Amino acid sequence: MSPFLASICQLCLAALLVSGALCIHRLVVGPDVADRAVALDTLTMVFIGVICTLCMLWSSALYFDAVWILTLVGFLSSAAIARYLEQGRLF
Amino acid sequence: MPSAWEVLIATALLVGTFFTAVSCLGLLRLPDVFCRMHAAGKAGTLGVCLVIVAAMLFFIASDWSVVLRGGLAIWFQLLTTPAATHLLARASYLTQYPITERTAVDELRTFLPSRPHETYGRE
Repeated sequence: MSPFLASICQLCLAALLVSGALCIHRLVVGPDVADRAVALDTLTMVFIGVICTLCMLWSSALYFDAVWILTLVGFLSSAAIARYLEQGRLF
Repeated sequence: MPSAWEVLIATALLVGTFFTAVSCLGLLRLPDVFCRMHAAGKAGTLGVCLVIVAAMLFFIASDWSVVLRGGLAIWFQLLTTPAATHLLARASYLTQYPITERTAVDELRTFLPSRPHETYGRE
């Protein structure tokens, strides 16, 4: 891990943390359930970015499985919230 | 002096982070849920895919399985994000989510005439 790439990774981590803070703001103030669902979806994307950047910063692929698992879980949560909104029940 | 490979990784990481940050900014600034979905679905997908590509390029020499797992993640992301966004948009339209009054064209209203008109611009 060169110092150039390490500093780039730390810069991206800072930017991703600010993005996550923006998502959490929308998650708190969002006027409706759909806004909060979209904010949660975007927060999952920010988490994926943070995990990838941390894997590179630590030079370890130990947590990389969480990336593709989080994509699937994020889709399931969005689909469940949408179905609950539209039909009033899950199953 | 960084090598060309590291510059490639850094470029992918920076552009991906930029698109993710822009998507979160749009989530904060845009007026209603359909505009917010537009920001989150397009820019967010592109940003996440570029960050995963950066990690794949970083680990391609040391750990070959990361390329496989990253490709799987990009495939799932491209597969699931449009479906999830479409489901949420349909659900919020059908549950009378108040559309912003700056909306110019609402073509779906001709197919779903049950939506009352006075829900426009009720923020």
